[in-house]
Amino acid sequence: MNELLDILKDLKPGVDFENEKNLIDDRILDSLDVMNLTVELNDEFDIEITPLDILPENFQSIETIYQLITRLQEDN
Amino acid sequence: MAYTTYIYLLLFLGSTFLLYTVFPKKYKWIVLLSASYLYYILASRVWMIIFILLTTISIYIGAIWLDKINDIFVSVKKSLDRQQRKELKEKILWQKKCVVVFILFINLGLLIFLKYSNFLISLLNISILEQFQISIPLIKLFLPLGISFYTLQAISYIVDVYRGKYHADECLSRVALYLAFFPTIVEGPITRYNEVAYQLYEGHSFDYKNFTFGLQLILWGMFKKIVIADRANMLVNYVFDDYLKFSGLSVVIAIIFYTIQLYTEFSGCMDIVRGSAQLFSIRLPDNFRQPFFAKSINEFWQRWHITLGSWLRDYVFYSVSLSAPFKRWSQFVKKHGNEYVSKLLPASTALFFVWICNGLWHGASIKYVMYGMYYYLLMMLGMYLEPVFMKIKNAFHIQNQNKFFQIFSIIRTILIVNIGMLIFRADTLSSAWHMLVSCFQGTMDIPYMGLALKDMMIVIMGVIIVYIMSLLKEKNISVREHIAKWHIVPRWTFYLTGLMIVVIFGAYGRGYDIVSFIYAQF
Repeated sequence: MNELLDILKDLKPGVDFENEKNLIDDRILDSLDVMNLTVELNDEFDIEITPLDILPENFQSIETIYQLITRLQEDN
Repeated sequence: MAYTTYIYLLLFLGSTFLLYTVFPKKYKWIVLLSASYLYYILASRVWMIIFILLTTISIYIGAIWLDKINDIFVSVKKSLDRQQRKELKEKILWQKKCVVVFILFINLGLLIFLKYSNFLISLLNISILEQFQISIPLIKLFLPLGISFYTLQAISYIVDVYRGKYHADECLSRVALYLAFFPTIVEGPITRYNEVAYQLYEGHSFDYKNFTFGLQLILWGMFKKIVIADRANMLVNYVFDDYLKFSGLSVVIAIIFYTIQLYTEFSGCMDIVRGSAQLFSIRLPDNFRQPFFAKSINEFWQRWHITLGSWLRDYVFYSVSLSAPFKRWSQFVKKHGNEYVSKLLPASTALFFVWICNGLWHGASIKYVMYGMYYYLLMMLGMYLEPVFMKIKNAFHIQNQNKFFQIFSIIRTILIVNIGMLIFRADTLSSAWHMLVSCFQGTMDIPYMGLALKDMMIVIMGVIIVYIMSLLKEKNISVREHIAKWHIVPRWTFYLTGLMIVVIFGAYGRGYDIVSFIYAQF
């Protein structure tokens, strides 16, 4: 989780990722951020995020992103 | 049969609504599907229906084929070990890829052939064949009504089934209705299967609120289209068709009027479309969200033609940026590039494809490609120079929440959008450039610009009304809900006054030309 938090903070400094629960709905992360984030996550966690995983609910908060990573790691 | 004509509104939509209301719930879809094909034939040519039928049948069969391949995998995967499962998964993925590429080849190939072959032939003639003094003659082609819209819907359906977002639909009528639904066939919005198809197919009983809200939306759309846009069109045509005669303030006015025309016309059409669907209690996605309140170009495109933007995001941007070659490219850039550039380069590469597609979708000419590139370059400037802008803002102690800075950002965006509109409307790039330069030359005098002072005042008054309504919507105030709560007498007096305004001030009849919807040609 800490590794993920570092990536998020690096991607978008100044955002309270620990408490923010509507990153997509509140337009804190846009499609460019999601794309940059997937590139980082693929590299760091050795997973493969596909277009099917790019759903708003998967990127709403640090917890949902973490759940996505865990699910994809299990799939591998 | 344009959506603003009496034939559509009173005869076609009216009789379809009556039939839909009296038909049993289970068979209401038959009314919508028959009306949709009848509309297609009346608004186009009889034989052109072949194209939409071909797309319907191909994606219907293709989607079921994809599901069958998936079913094979699901039925045997539990009996396999990890390695065998992985091998089978790869094999299945390859088969699915072949199916989806084949279906895309048919549908996208048809669109490219009909819409872009003359453009490609011209490019070939100019760039290569001219040197050998030979040229390929252009082909005389017809563009089927709505092909740019229903093809994108068809692609979204087949790709979503391929990605496993939902299962293929075994009901052919539902797939057919999704692609051919008559209000959306001419100008969109580009809908998604899982959001709209089931709504269209299931029968809805008469609902007074939806009925009156639908009528309100149609009336509002008519106001924007025939009171404002069709009037603005007269001035725009007068100046753009003879642009060498104008300079200075008159060119600036013409560009602003074109922006007004395109927005009120396209968003007005969307209101008529969404209003028509709401009569049947069908909710279609919104295509506009007060675009002229955007504080950046990025935000503008999240508020303007929303369904095209989200289609390009989901099926071009993510498809490109998550593809294997692109991942390799991202890793290469990360390893060998400067840290700052390597962060931005992958996104800017994927965005290049998005904006090329956006430009080409609007039309088969260099002008539209440059229109896409204009926005792409501006976005790149914004992305790469962000640290510079941040330094400037910090130096002047400017906060993003500062009201003056927000107003400045809105005006800056409007200015950029107007230049984009100039590229979009001008006949050629050189005439756009000439008009842009002439804005800074000439005088502040306003000669006759093809529009009487009375008509100009009506346009300005109309724009003020649209602005006030947009402002209220931006502040989440629903005027429609407020009016719906009024007592029946003032409420219907208000509706009838609105209708009278459209009838009296509509730009039609003697002295006015019937203006086709601009987006219908795409």
